[in-house]
Amino acid sequence: MSHKRILLIDDDPDLRLAIRLPLESAGYAVVEARNVSEARAAVKEVRPDLIILDVMMDTTTAGFQFALDLHSPDAASEFRVHRQTPIIMLTAIHSTTPLRFSPDEDYLPVQAFIEKPVEPEALLAKVHELLTDRES
Amino acid sequence: MKLPSSTNLGEEDVTASNLGHRNLVEAELVASNAWLIRVRWMAGIGVLFSTWIVQNILNLQAPFAILYSIGASILLYNLIFYIVEQRLTRSTAPSPSFARQAMWQVGLDWLAMTLLIHYSGGIESPAIFYFIFHIIIASIFFAPRIAFGFALLACGLVTGISLLEYLGILPHEAIHGYLEQPLYQNNLYLVGVLIFFSSSGLIAAYLASTIIERLRQREEEVVTLSERLQRATKRLQAVNESARIVGSTLDLSQVLNRLVQTTAEAMGVQACSIRLIDKTGQRLEPVAIYGLSQEYLNKGPVDAIINPLAREVLSGKTVNIPDAPSSPLIQYPEEAQKEGIRSMLSAPLIGKSGPLGILRSYALEPNRFIGDDEQFLAAIAAQGSIAIDNALAYQAIEELDSAKSQFVRIVTHELRSPVSVALSLLRTMQGGYAGEVSGQQQELISRALRRLEFLHKLIDDLLDLAAGKTEVKPDEEFELIELGEVLHQVVRRYEVSAQEKGIKIDLHCTTGAEGMHVKATREGLDRTLNNLLSNAVKYTLPGGLVSVTLTEINSEAQVIIEDTGIGIPEESLGHLFEEFYRAPNAKALENEGTGLGLTIVKDTLIRFGGRITVTSKLNEGSTFTLFLPLETLHGNKPGR
Repeated sequence: MSHKRILLIDDDPDLRLAIRLPLESAGYAVVEARNVSEARAAVKEVRPDLIILDVMMDTTTAGFQFALDLHSPDAASEFRVHRQTPIIMLTAIHSTTPLRFSPDEDYLPVQAFIEKPVEPEALLAKVHELLTDRES
Repeated sequence: MKLPSSTNLGEEDVTASNLGHRNLVEAELVASNAWLIRVRWMAGIGVLFSTWIVQNILNLQAPFAILYSIGASILLYNLIFYIVEQRLTRSTAPSPSFARQAMWQVGLDWLAMTLLIHYSGGIESPAIFYFIFHIIIASIFFAPRIAFGFALLACGLVTGISLLEYLGILPHEAIHGYLEQPLYQNNLYLVGVLIFFSSSGLIAAYLASTIIERLRQREEEVVTLSERLQRATKRLQAVNESARIVGSTLDLSQVLNRLVQTTAEAMGVQACSIRLIDKTGQRLEPVAIYGLSQEYLNKGPVDAIINPLAREVLSGKTVNIPDAPSSPLIQYPEEAQKEGIRSMLSAPLIGKSGPLGILRSYALEPNRFIGDDEQFLAAIAAQGSIAIDNALAYQAIEELDSAKSQFVRIVTHELRSPVSVALSLLRTMQGGYAGEVSGQQQELISRALRRLEFLHKLIDDLLDLAAGKTEVKPDEEFELIELGEVLHQVVRRYEVSAQEKGIKIDLHCTTGAEGMHVKATREGLDRTLNNLLSNAVKYTLPGGLVSVTLTEINSEAQVIIEDTGIGIPEESLGHLFEEFYRAPNAKALENEGTGLGLTIVKDTLIRFGGRITVTSKLNEGSTFTLFLPLETLHGNKPGR
């Protein structure tokens, strides 16, 4: 088992549990963060292979801002080593909410979207795909 | 107190002339002046012509030079009157100018007549009875008393000339050869002619003035009637107009502003206002103003409870104040005086739930509101009350609707998150990621999941519904979308599931349907078509057919979704688009379903300017037809 490290950032402990259990049973090491500031510290400490990020936490755009920072092309960025770390974004944004995103939009530094409620099989498949992509 | 109707007439005449309208009586005076000038041309020419005949054909002797100059003078001063009259007519001068001119005309005519008589033989003159014409003319122009004065003057003048000539004080000028011997000193002749002349003159004056007086009375009656008719028509139009305004819009301030303007114009008064009782019930706030200065409006608060006039009007009475600055009912008499307001008429605005406010007309003249003014203002106030009631009711409904949608939005957003997390947890558990799950546990989890999934769908539908109502997007946010393309996508989406169920889906586009564009949001259009197609597949039994047709009729795009499904009972058709409604046979076939789908479809189509119709036969199938206005690529509707 490779014991890949996954950083899971979500403010809802129940959702974190629902996501952590399948990941752990698939052999991943999961580190949790409750908000963006915890996540900023955890990224440097844990050096995750993949990040699962809730889109809406403290503010509607906090998740996006964090993803942008992580993948910033700026050479002096504090997160420059994580520029290639894949991010899966958890979205609960309903289709009628003004903010609408889809993965093919270029400016979003996110590799995949997973809709809430989470389908464990779909999540695992996506995680596996992203981590395998990276190795190959 | 009401004034006698004759006084009304006088006041209205003054108002009318103040407004610059020349009424019928004045028009008559002007016409008479013109007529007199026309007649005088003939009189002047007549004098010259008859003098010429006497001189050249009859070959008689007379002071021809003087007679010719009298004729010429008549023509000359008539020319002056003609020029003056033309100027007065053009300048729309007030009637006194015309009356003055009439006086001058008559005066000069009489002088000319007197000279003519004197120089054509005095009492012997054949022209003496022409004076009768002048008396008749004076009777036409002036009141009977003045006309009699003129008649007496004529008698006096003729008698005077005759006596002066008789006594030899004035030389006797005569047409020699007209009479065999002079008669001016014949006592009997003198007395006889004078008596007959005087009596003829006075009788002519009497007859003419009586007839003219009667004619004038009739004419004044006609004038009064026509003015009343005009006023009545104007008011009728105003009442009509106010009814139209009240029905035309639910925008309260617009309705009230147009109402005050219409009222002021119809009554012909300076100003009109509407004050409504504010939410505290204490103050009367101006909400619609026409013709009042800002300074007057800022005079101070108008208290609905203390202000004596307001109290009386709000109790349901129409109150007429003939002299505002001195009325004890007026709270701000000085300000009213300063504004020039002399009389006021106030009518109550009474709604279904009690007094709403006051409609008030203001006039610059004292005693301005008379006759049917009170009823008129009350009628307008009644219309206004309806408008206010309607607008307030509409406003309340709108607020309620928006609050409801807002509530639904907030609640559903709050609901969505826990349901979503619960679903995630249960799926994790079902997947065995939290340890082994036994057969029965698996069954329980599945049931719980089904319930939660339904709840989740319901919340999503509610959000869609609330969004459609709260976020009415401005037209610009709609894009031009090719309808056929979206339809193809949606149909493709259902091909697999339909096939699995043994249902055939047919998509048919008529010629020209390929390039059809509509103004909508892609997501809304997708949701609408998806909803209808999912229903068609859901409620059609295996072996059935779902056919989708895209076509154009009368500049409208038409999508017909027809199935051979279970159909809709007739009694359910009317309720189909109601929130949460589900037909009993649909419920029996598919337990899960929120009953919101078609409501969302209908709301969405209305937002895009379209509509939907449904026909169905139980156990045979249903046809949903949706219509959307077609757009050209330039954003315009295709030519009709």
